[in-house]
Amino acid sequence: MAEKKEKILEIRDLDISFKTTAGLVHAIRSVDIDLWKGETVAIVGESGSGKSVTMKAAMGILAKNAIVNQGSIRFSYRHENGENETVEILSKDKNWIRRHINGKRISMVFQDPMTSLDPTMTIGKQIMEGMLWHFKMSKQEAYARAVKLLQEVGITDAEARMKNYPHQLSGGMRQRVVIAIALSCNPDLLICDEPTTALDVTIQAKILELIKKIQLERGISVIYITHDLGVVAKVADYVNVMYAGKIVEKGTINEIFYDPRHPYTWGLLSAMPDLDTNDDRLYAIPGSPPNLLHEKEGDAFAPRNKYALLVDDKAQPPMFRISDSHYAATWLLDPRAPKVEMPAELKSRIERMKKGAEIDGSQL
Amino acid sequence: MAVNYNQEPLLKVEGLKQYFKVSKSFTVKAVDNVSFEIYPGETYGLVGESGSGKSTIGRSVIRLYDPTAGTIRFNGAEISGRMNGETRKMLRNQMQMIFQDPMASLNPRKKVQDIIGEGLDIHHHYKNLEERSEQIRTILKKVGLAPEHASRYPHQFSGGQRQRVGIARALIMNPKLIIADECISALDVSIQAQVVNLMKDIQQETGTAYMFIAHDLSMVKYISDRIGVLHLGHLLETGTTDEIFSNPIHPYTRSLLSAIPSPNPVIEKKRVAESYDYKSSGIDYSLGTSHLVSGTHYVSCTDEEFDRWRKAEPFHYN
Repeated sequence: MAEKKEKILEIRDLDISFKTTAGLVHAIRSVDIDLWKGETVAIVGESGSGKSVTMKAAMGILAKNAIVNQGSIRFSYRHENGENETVEILSKDKNWIRRHINGKRISMVFQDPMTSLDPTMTIGKQIMEGMLWHFKMSKQEAYARAVKLLQEVGITDAEARMKNYPHQLSGGMRQRVVIAIALSCNPDLLICDEPTTALDVTIQAKILELIKKIQLERGISVIYITHDLGVVAKVADYVNVMYAGKIVEKGTINEIFYDPRHPYTWGLLSAMPDLDTNDDRLYAIPGSPPNLLHEKEGDAFAPRNKYALLVDDKAQPPMFRISDSHYAATWLLDPRAPKVEMPAELKSRIERMKKGAEIDGSQL
Repeated sequence: MAVNYNQEPLLKVEGLKQYFKVSKSFTVKAVDNVSFEIYPGETYGLVGESGSGKSTIGRSVIRLYDPTAGTIRFNGAEISGRMNGETRKMLRNQMQMIFQDPMASLNPRKKVQDIIGEGLDIHHHYKNLEERSEQIRTILKKVGLAPEHASRYPHQFSGGQRQRVGIARALIMNPKLIIADECISALDVSIQAQVVNLMKDIQQETGTAYMFIAHDLSMVKYISDRIGVLHLGHLLETGTTDEIFSNPIHPYTRSLLSAIPSPNPVIEKKRVAESYDYKSSGIDYSLGTSHLVSGTHYVSCTDEEFDRWRKAEPFHYN
């Protein structure tokens, strides 16, 4: 690429705990994430792995009992006059973030449209709300823009829909409205927190295609938080795999899907049956995710990892570099570690996928 | 496991209708004229989007609802109309259900042993308390839990473990048919695989049949012997898993299959899902009659649609 890529979001060494009645829960443990302009990053992990908390921190909407132990979140954006500005989100107070960042620069699409929309307001009003507040726009202007937004997200008969209430729309339509609201103030960054989990497969595909189209047209950056690797495959450029509050593997989409290195990523990929899986049993990661209330020495994934080494119980693995973009936190990549191959079924499946991709005529 | 299709079906549903009267002038036709069979030891997957009536079918079959019309035969007895005491007892013993959300379907104030043992208590399946706890221990072991878990409460378990308790509760009655209503949707990906493997193992061991209700097609394909595709209360297409996936006829089935995300980024990035809209498609489900495609593969449509769809270019799921 000729021009230098512009960095939108840089999270460094983020570390967050939650104060609960049962004690301190160490939810995020030293997370680094980078996001460049116009690109899409996916954060994958099971529930409780900390993917939502990380993004809430970036938006400054952490719960009150959260304690940020250390780290920095630097967010860059461009003013209307073309000036660049970089802010440190963690050092700003909530009011400032509310006025300058939320909705205007970073906006979020939540999982369930029925709970994120206000049932007592017409959808037109809800779309206009942000514009009226952030840009002090006149009502007529905001109305015109809202109608245009509804058309952009693929709602037919937009003018009539403006007067509808959320309960009058179907699930897919509601999520389109939520996306329209998120886009209303021209954000630089869109965070989608499980945007399609509550939707049916047919609608899921449509919503993902819509977000992709909008991203291309507007050149915004998108972060997906999801547990569905199928969604990731469809939309992401870069993937971060999270486990127990840590990023265990990061890389470009092709590196993660065609050359995974961390045993947890192997497990995730094999646990999802593709349509050619004919084996009698699915590969399942044994056990369940750890309780972060209890700190564990060494690698948090070790108890569920059949490839675990002795050192995994003693020390946390650092991020080993595989290529400039591909890193994984597992001792298996240490030069001293015994050579371990990924499970045979997964290997043959990746071979199959690669072949499928070649037949398709595209380059890996 | 090979299923013997020459024997008498375990469950035979014919022309099932389930209407809900909302007001004097408005009736929801949740299930409209649905017929299918389930054979002993097989897994029948029911797929469809939310509101398609798949859960309603499950609930009508186990008689949580009174079917509006149609006949249901289970295990050699008619269970759709008024049942006599004996039939009712057989139904409650031989057909069990696993629910979607394990936290919501387990009584938080009961210990696991009492949740699992409730069916035994009601049907007097033990002579003394020792025998009862022995049965509970055996079943806990079968679903991969430890005997000491018996005296715990549901909140002390993780999501996957709770679903195992739900499965144990269904299994302890030794049922011939288990209705699994979205039983893995609420679980994490890595846990889903564990539960699906467990269900398969249990089927191998006990020969129970499953009605597997889900919207996740890749999982349905993996676990089911045969599949039924539902939309708006109509069973549009049914057949073996291979028949449906290699040669879907109905446009709705095609759109459903084309929407499954595949974990292959290069292909997935370029794929555009086929769209399907009932209102603009010009298809009237209520006019459709059952047409045989091949083997056990049936599609519901009119004669004219059948000819047209069959000539359509064959569908390839990448």
